[in-house]
Amino acid sequence: MSAGSSTGETVQQRLVFDALVVGGGIAGLQSAIELGDQGYKVLIVEKAPSIGGKMIGLSKVFPTLDCSSCICTPRMAAAAHHENVTIFTYSEVRRTERAGSRFQVEVVRKPRYVHEADCIGCRLCEYACPIHVEHEFEGNLGARKAIYVPFANAIPQLALVDLEHCVFCGLCEKACPTHAINFLQQPEEIAVEVGTIILATGYKMMSPERLKLYGGGRLRNVLTSLQVERLLAPHGPYGRVLRPSDGKAPSSIGYVQCAGSRDQSVGVSYCSRVCCMYAIKQAMLLSGSLPMVDITIYYMDIRAFGKGFEQFFQNAKAMGIEFVKAKVGRITEDENQNPVVRVEVMEQDGRVEERKHDMVVLSLGLLPGWDPSGVVPAEIAEDGFIRSADPLLAPARTTAEGIFVAGAAAGPKDIPDSIVEAGAAAMEAAIYLRRNGSSSNGDERAVNEQAAVVAQGRG
Amino acid sequence: MSEVQQARRPKILLLATTACAYPGADYVGQIHSEYSTDTYIIRVPALAVFPPEFYLRCFQKGIDGIIAMSCGHECPYPGAYERFAERIGRAQELMKRQGLDARRLRTTAICTVCGRAFLKEVQDMVQRVAQSGGQLVGK
Amino acid sequence: MSKVNPPNEKPANGNQQPKVGVYVCRCGGNISDVVSVEKVAEAAGQMPDVVVARQNTFMCSHPGQQMIVDDIAKLGLNRVVVAACSPRLHELTFRKTLVRAGLNAYLFEHANIREQVSWVSKSDPEGATAKATRLVGAAVAKVRLSRPLDPIKVDATRQVLIIGGGVSGLRCARDLSQSGFRVVLVEQSAALGGRLTELGRLYPVQVEAREVLHSLISEVSRDAAIQVLTSAEVTAVSGSIGNFSVAVRCAQQETTIHVGAIVLATGFDTYEPLPGEYGYAEFPEVITLPQFVRLLEKQGPSDGQLQRNGRPVKNVCLVHCVGSRQIEGIHQPGPDGRLHEYCSRFCCTAALQAANEIRARFPAVNVFDVYRDIRTYGRGHESYYEQASKQGVIFFRFLAEQLPQIRRADADGSALVVQVKDTLTWGEDLEIPADLVVLVTGAVPRDLSRLIDMLKLSRSPDGFLQEVHPKLRPVETAVSGVFLAGGCQAPMDVGESCTAASAAAARVSAALLKGYVELEPFAAVADPALCTGTGACIEVCQHQRAISLVDVMADGVTLRRAQVNPALCGGCGMCVPACPHGAIQVDGWRLEQFEAMVDAIAADY
Ligand SMILES: Cc1cc2nc3c(=O)[nH]c(=O)nc-3n(C[C@H](O)[C@H](O)[C@H](O)COP(=O)(O)OP(=O)(O)OC[C@H]3O[C@@H](n4cnc5c(N)ncnc54)[C@H](O)[C@@H]3O)c2cc1C
Ligand SMILES: Cc1cc2nc3c(=O)[nH]c(=O)nc-3n(C[C@H](O)[C@H](O)[C@H](O)COP(=O)(O)OP(=O)(O)OC[C@H]3O[C@@H](n4cnc5c(N)ncnc54)[C@H](O)[C@@H]3O)c2cc1C
Repeated sequence: MSAGSSTGETVQQRLVFDALVVGGGIAGLQSAIELGDQGYKVLIVEKAPSIGGKMIGLSKVFPTLDCSSCICTPRMAAAAHHENVTIFTYSEVRRTERAGSRFQVEVVRKPRYVHEADCIGCRLCEYACPIHVEHEFEGNLGARKAIYVPFANAIPQLALVDLEHCVFCGLCEKACPTHAINFLQQPEEIAVEVGTIILATGYKMMSPERLKLYGGGRLRNVLTSLQVERLLAPHGPYGRVLRPSDGKAPSSIGYVQCAGSRDQSVGVSYCSRVCCMYAIKQAMLLSGSLPMVDITIYYMDIRAFGKGFEQFFQNAKAMGIEFVKAKVGRITEDENQNPVVRVEVMEQDGRVEERKHDMVVLSLGLLPGWDPSGVVPAEIAEDGFIRSADPLLAPARTTAEGIFVAGAAAGPKDIPDSIVEAGAAAMEAAIYLRRNGSSSNGDERAVNEQAAVVAQGRG
Repeated sequence: MSEVQQARRPKILLLATTACAYPGADYVGQIHSEYSTDTYIIRVPALAVFPPEFYLRCFQKGIDGIIAMSCGHECPYPGAYERFAERIGRAQELMKRQGLDARRLRTTAICTVCGRAFLKEVQDMVQRVAQSGGQLVGK
Repeated sequence: MSKVNPPNEKPANGNQQPKVGVYVCRCGGNISDVVSVEKVAEAAGQMPDVVVARQNTFMCSHPGQQMIVDDIAKLGLNRVVVAACSPRLHELTFRKTLVRAGLNAYLFEHANIREQVSWVSKSDPEGATAKATRLVGAAVAKVRLSRPLDPIKVDATRQVLIIGGGVSGLRCARDLSQSGFRVVLVEQSAALGGRLTELGRLYPVQVEAREVLHSLISEVSRDAAIQVLTSAEVTAVSGSIGNFSVAVRCAQQETTIHVGAIVLATGFDTYEPLPGEYGYAEFPEVITLPQFVRLLEKQGPSDGQLQRNGRPVKNVCLVHCVGSRQIEGIHQPGPDGRLHEYCSRFCCTAALQAANEIRARFPAVNVFDVYRDIRTYGRGHESYYEQASKQGVIFFRFLAEQLPQIRRADADGSALVVQVKDTLTWGEDLEIPADLVVLVTGAVPRDLSRLIDMLKLSRSPDGFLQEVHPKLRPVETAVSGVFLAGGCQAPMDVGESCTAASAAAARVSAALLKGYVELEPFAAVADPALCTGTGACIEVCQHQRAISLVDVMADGVTLRRAQVNPALCGGCGMCVPACPHGAIQVDGWRLEQFEAMVDAIAADY
């Protein structure tokens, strides 16, 4: 099933599905499983080389503190193994056209430079590669090679080449036992017809570079919250918690809340909704792994609103985590690279204080993961996230007929809320399909079987 | 593992119901509390499945203590808890008749978030087994 | 009504000599940091019938599962044990792995060495390793005696009962009817709409609740597939997923309906402050947010004029978190004996919306807002907070340890004074004049004790109905076939309630769509070779008609023998010890399997 990828030519194919899910994070996976369970054929298009989204990189998750990958991997596996679900990773939607109640979609599969059907995920190429590159999955705290399997529990377990850093030394080609590496691989265009679309493109983090007053991303011991998730993960980059500049275990950590949220000066006036809870969670986990650590959370309001959240917050207080109501004005560092935060402490006499910590964590705001303009006919709202047509009765409905939204693509959201919303989006999509008489009829099923074959070894 | 010969470690059996006590034991794990490694959990849908003789056979096989952790009146199977209580009563009678310390067989209800109760029951049984030393070891 | 599978034919792989594969998971350090996974695997390799024992960083990952699939193909394994996290997380995952490899799903056994070993034995790695080894031994002992089982298929009624006709119930009803189901909607009060019938404008879109309800209710009443029963209540429930029988009393008449699934959409109550709490029931000028919302209504008690006791109101003071975020030692438990520790989620934005409405409609009225944290977390909520600040609402912040006090004003002017130790002005003691104090009350669980008893549901520690798992199965209850929609699960606003209702509809739809439901095969089976027809099992059985005595022919003689209807059997096993001959056993949990597990635990490795 080389589909032309090894010869470099682009082959046109047409595949038919009931539904297209854009984004394979937890929301996208759950929507696909829900539709699949109702008998609909679903295609997930994920732009990253693995499904799982942000969740697969998190440590433990509030409010139950179960390990994130323990909840996420079964969902990933369930989608990957679902008889009605096909997954294209490392792929993107390029264009969508409405055709009656249905959609004609052009999907591009980016070249991995590794022939997917042949790769067995053994990583011999990775071991052979001499190039070390900062690993995005580890929040750039760890390294990967220029050819690599995205991360330990990635699905699918397939290597890809990062051409930007590759020096074409050919060592990986020699190491590969199945001769799967092919530098001539070309992008592959696939024409897909679907009955409905669910957008589950999630969020991106605010870039610390944009927060000039907080060091603009240049202070070494000022980390992002997502980096701390990796530090805390059992299989994280260092295997334990330490600060980047000198490898010392921090004994004092400060959390700066609303870093790039609720802040007009950076253009984000909304609340990012998950940062209070993840900061509290991280503080609890840090206290667990560094018994002597003092943690201070500088906050404007603690928004522990979900089921079991307030109790979680009160437990953190009881554990001795310090909560200080204050807006952090500025972060600098001293000669030993200890971050210094300048705060106006409201609860005392409002005086401005400078507090020194070994490490500071920015609870960065969440930005829209994707702007569909020109690619999928859904609208975005003022906040940049996909607009909901009816926030009261049908939050998962977008302003475009037949297109639905789930998870953080419709605004910052935690995992429980994303999962429930994925169910709702799937329900809406199923109703839309029924109403338009779309369901896998005989003809379509034949094409779908073909689609499943094409997707094999790649999903 | 031949060290076992020198210092025989006691063995405590925890029979835990699927609906309540088993998730309760998981909860203790989730909050990372610690308890003796001499405990062995067996998952059971409803404890009413065991005849009184089952418990006696366990002691004969070398189990030092048993805690039957039920759902109590929250039992999802109608009538099963009452039936279980009857059978445990009968087992304890048989134990007394055979000269076994009936405190080696405890029953308790453990809910899905009853971490503290779980730890206390285990702790108590560990102590009981340790205190009575060899006497408790069934023959 | 129900279809019963033919007795087990025992597919080939059940009768052969057991060949067990054991897989020990490191869980990326979660297990292997405490338990010596290598030693456990090594010991497992020596256990009877074990053909292969391996370890892996993440057994649940794709490569981990693939390892099992490959071994089954290469080594001809016919039974599998995975030692990993709790079976509650991954037992299903691995059963499916076996199926993918062509094995029966029930030839799998799970040993819990994370939640019940490594996480609870940090300081005793050696003991933990020995314990994990014995638990693996027990799982091997059990799986050696396992037989292949087939799921029990039960015909399912494609009709659904929804209890509660608020926005959640209505939304769920519409979703289900549009997915091809018939729906019976039972509402205890005389009208549909629930809480929304008492509300005015709804955040985040400023639409009148009345309009929102009107569109939804008219859709529901036009829908021929939805039968609405108002002033009705559920009086009895029996049966199980696919086939529930529900007695409903409506207009003095009791009818029985048959449904395949039940959705609870019973919503929440609002908190009623204790007498004297912030002056409630003591001063007539102290009211709750729901009462205030009524007061603002154009058709409300004062025609939408802002008056109290016939006096125009000049100063309004809102006090947040009344009956929510309660703390032991500071707050009094309510009449139900419960402390409401949770946040009620919608009240901050609802209160700010009311504050903004006062400022917009009555610009001369001052609005003071006394809060702990402003939780305008949702999409579009923050702008209510911004607007309130812009429109001159004045904020004060208190700590739970220093609750505001309310007393009569000494001098003329406003009727009441609210005293606050305000942390926004660095702990200054301030006195706020108020003609009207609005207590921002949150949600409390409804008294659903009868339904909870009938359906055998459980409550979360906060008193709301409990889901199986907030992330894995957020809209399902532990009772299969019973689902949750909206405010009965936790405080939720309208958008969130509708989202949950649709998610519940999706789960119901997936469960009943095929017209049958597959149940786990853990039912009792009577062995006709051992049974002598004493009927002792029938005497103890609590499930009507689950066991009966039937005539069977053997060697030309007719004998009375026990037979189990697996679809009606609850799988509790009460009948097992009742039989004098050990002739009745629960599939998947046979007594000999438990005995073998105890042997393995008692053994030394
Ligand atoms: C530091 C931190 C800690 C957190 N901790 C917790 C916690 O403890 N508990 C909790 O409940 N929540 C937590 N969260 C929130 C959690 O991450 C989100 O709720 C969740 O990831 C949302 O899932 P999603 O699928 O909507 O989005 P995402 O996880 O962002 O997934 C979106 C997916 O879509 C893909 N995608 C984007 N654009 C395209 C495109 N154009 N084409 C194809 N694919 C595309 C992305 O590659 C990604 O895989 C945390 C968040 C952060 C930042
Ligand atoms: C003061 C206030 C202001 C609010 N403002 C907003 C706002 O601006 N925007 C917003 O989005 N949300 C707002 N909300 C939240 C909103 O009210 C809820 O989200 C919504 O009512 C939840 O709907 P529900 O159907 O789950 O529950 P409910 O509305 O409580 O409906 C439950 C229904 O079930 C029925 N019932 C209960 N028990 C039984 C039984 N045993 N048998 C049969 N029927 C039963 C009840 O009679 C009721 O009709 C506000 C809430 C309050 C209290």
